Amino acid sequence: MLRNIFGNRPNGVPGLVFLVCLSVAIAPSLMAQTAGMGALTGRIVDASGKAVANATVTATSIDDGQVRSATSGTDGFYKFEGLPPGSYRLKFEAAGLKTSEIPSTTVDGTEMTVPDAKLEAGESVSSKPATAQQDNSPNAPSSSKTEPTLADLGLSPEQTQGNAREQALLDKRTHMLKIHQRMGLITTIPLVATVLLGPGAGGKSEGTAARDLHVALGGLTGDLYGITAYYAIRAPRVPGTKKRGPIKFHEAMAWIHGPGMILTPILGIIAFDQKNNGEKVHGIASAHGPVAIVTAGAFGAALLSVSVKF
Amino acid sequence: MKNKIILIAFLLVALPTFAADSQWVLKQSTLTYHVSHKLHESEGVSHAARGKGVCHDGQCDFLIAVAVKSFDSGDSNRDLHMVQVTRGAEFPLVTVRTRLAESVAASATINADLEIQFAGQTAQYKQVPFKVETQGGETHITGNIPATLTDFKIDPPSLLTMPVKNDIPVRVDMTWHQQ
Repeated sequence: MLRNIFGNRPNGVPGLVFLVCLSVAIAPSLMAQTAGMGALTGRIVDASGKAVANATVTATSIDDGQVRSATSGTDGFYKFEGLPPGSYRLKFEAAGLKTSEIPSTTVDGTEMTVPDAKLEAGESVSSKPATAQQDNSPNAPSSSKTEPTLADLGLSPEQTQGNAREQALLDKRTHMLKIHQRMGLITTIPLVATVLLGPGAGGKSEGTAARDLHVALGGLTGDLYGITAYYAIRAPRVPGTKKRGPIKFHEAMAWIHGPGMILTPILGIIAFDQKNNGEKVHGIASAHGPVAIVTAGAFGAALLSVSVKF
Repeated sequence: MKNKIILIAFLLVALPTFAADSQWVLKQSTLTYHVSHKLHESEGVSHAARGKGVCHDGQCDFLIAVAVKSFDSGDSNRDLHMVQVTRGAEFPLVTVRTRLAESVAASATINADLEIQFAGQTAQYKQVPFKVETQGGETHITGNIPATLTDFKIDPPSLLTMPVKNDIPVRVDMTWHQQ
């Protein structure tokens, strides 16, 4: 039936519009995904927040073990360029200061800024000079031995130590949900246009231009919706998180607009077939319009639920 | 002889005053961050802070720590984004250090210099005013820390492509007990 229906559709403007719109809509997302080498930049400071110059920064690829090094400038900044995307362990060394490490940071094809590496005073690990200076302001936090520590607060090492793997999981989740959000917004445009053109496409008019445009926009909406849904479904779950708040409504709406986005084009194809055969839209196909409106409504409600505080 | 007696008497009175250490323990706390966006405002609240102050020679060093994950905005999705954007899994704690004169507990207001470590960064806040109320051995402190995202090099998260405002003031409400 699909071949029959699309075989009846005249080639030309609607098809071209469909392809152009699809390319324009998807291209930025695809470009973002296929970007090449990345870069890492950051700053090294001492305990008082002063820049540390001439510190050695070593980036070791967790994926393939490749090692690169860089030296911080007088402003404490360093930069690695041309890094293949992946995870890297960063090690910071400077004369008169303790060595510090960031267990894992992710390079994704863009320039990533690493949080400041703070080197505490301690034994020298390098012969290179450092420009670290102590903060001697009268109200500076005390360096006395009576100063309470995290252990004094009853915090265990597990509570105070970072988890690079979990951070990477969160980074991936946010990255995917950002794409989900943007694609959802982009999808709204052809979705609204498709719904608005619906009455013209299914009316008494014998012309096929409005119907073809409706079909093209509907197809574009379906494709964009598929991409939007993919990034939500594939975004990693964070173990131990109990869902609270508007996200529950947002996900509940997906159980309406998800099946609706499958059912609407199926009913539309049947309606299209009937119209092309010179028949009035009848039977189950007559539900195409109402189902589309409910689907679009649920989609809009899902969008608003996480955007506007009611 | 008389001078020796006076000296001994002075030492007996003065030593406990100058040399004795005392400690403060955080009994209760409510920390609330506020985020503004064009479409709505949101707040995240934590009651999970732990704190201790150690006094010596009339000066008290305070350390307060709170888990980034303990802030609850009422929306689990927003909280997870907050933890991600602040690198809360990599740097799980917000710590605040300050040094105050022991005598300020008797004041109605204090101005504290704060050193805050958050999201892998350290920011200094000078002379942050707090109200102090002491009742029955417990000291209640309230105030606002004028934090911003740029202080901690946090990229402002965005909703519908619109970023949140840079200001993320933190409302502090703590009850300390002196031991």
